[in-house]
Amino acid sequence: MKTKLVAFTLLASLTATAIIAQDDPFKDTVEIRHGLMLQMATDLATLGGMAKGTAPYDQASATKAAGNIAAIASVISMEQFPAGSEAGKATDSFALADVWAKQDDFMTKITGLNEAAGMMQTAAATSADAIKGSMAQLGGACSACHKAYRQPES
Amino acid sequence: MARMVTKLAGLGLIGFAGFMFLSAPSVSSMAVYDGLKGDAKNGETVFWAAGCASCHAAADAKGADELVLAGGQEFPTQFGTFLSPNISPDKTHGIGGWTLPQFATAMTQGVTPEGTHLYPALPYAAYNKMVPQDVADLWAFMQTLPASATPSQANKVSFPFNIRRTLGLWKRMFVTNDWVITGDLTPEQTRGRYIAEALAHCGECHTPRNALGGLDRAKWLSGAVSADGKSKVPNITPGKLTWSEAEIVEYLTTGFTPEYDSVGGHMAHVVENMAKLPDSDRAAVAAYLKLVPSIAN
Repeated sequence: MKTKLVAFTLLASLTATAIIAQDDPFKDTVEIRHGLMLQMATDLATLGGMAKGTAPYDQASATKAAGNIAAIASVISMEQFPAGSEAGKATDSFALADVWAKQDDFMTKITGLNEAAGMMQTAAATSADAIKGSMAQLGGACSACHKAYRQPES
Repeated sequence: MARMVTKLAGLGLIGFAGFMFLSAPSVSSMAVYDGLKGDAKNGETVFWAAGCASCHAAADAKGADELVLAGGQEFPTQFGTFLSPNISPDKTHGIGGWTLPQFATAMTQGVTPEGTHLYPALPYAAYNKMVPQDVADLWAFMQTLPASATPSQANKVSFPFNIRRTLGLWKRMFVTNDWVITGDLTPEQTRGRYIAEALAHCGECHTPRNALGGLDRAKWLSGAVSADGKSKVPNITPGKLTWSEAEIVEYLTTGFTPEYDSVGGHMAHVVENMAKLPDSDRAAVAAYLKLVPSIAN
């Protein structure tokens, strides 16, 4: 009897775990996306400080930061956006369904990010003023995507 | 009984007459526009500051297409879905056949040349504070934009909100020419107030509304539910927005927050528009925001 109860409890908890896991098949996917964005924000802060003059221009760290941003931009593809990993379906996801409905446009905007990141790499190797001049374009590339494809906070 | 019915009918008639009187689209004199000559160059600045293209360009328009004001964007709200009309210079489908006083009447009083009320989806409750010369300049700039033959689409608004006449009462209750922020302002703060309260109509999204859709000016810019009810528009009074003026300017220029998150949603349109203004205008908006009464929530 006791064995039966233990077996039943075990089975029940296993099922529950399976259901929870099944509810959230995109946990890693969403974490990867947010991690990429957070690393990008960190590198942008390095460049932004120099652009604003709150940190001295340092070619080595500017080049490293801009290189990171370009590398992250090159990683972003539909691979991090598997079907179904949208807001409302995947936990913590802010990706709107239009990412998939308008996939071509979404990818065009990712191409735009890569271009802006490339220009920032050139600027980062040049001067703080050049970085300042490239911030708006890079910011525009970020918001082009966030405008259409990121769900505003609710 | 019959007397009762007559009395009620009489009361109803008086009520109806009162409604017809109070809701009539009245237009104040536009004589100030006689002889005003528009300057298209300043008009372009007004155009971006007022955010015209953000709602009147076709959905998903990019680059040069943003200047084709064909309309057709949908704005779902609790009162129904509004569709932005074609306001390009096309004589048939746009507003190319209008005169400057007619344009000014629509912009500042929310009344069409045909004498009907416009829905406040057009933020005339903010544009009514525009100086006439800016309206004339904007009109001059809009003449230089491409015409589009795309027909305007009808709003999908249901009873009783589809009775435009009711807007006459709404305007009497909720539209005022008064500034929200008053007192001794520096020239920079005054410019900031003009951009924020009149042109860029910040309050339309950032200020909460009552059940009838009127702005609660006592809670100016303290955050609201978005018009579509799906998201929150942030509180940007000093009670919540603690960014420095320089950080606000940076945000309105690049779209980056101090933490280097980036602007999204409809605000991304606003930043695109603000980025086209001179630095001094963005600084003026930042200076104005520091004047707004602090509300914590």
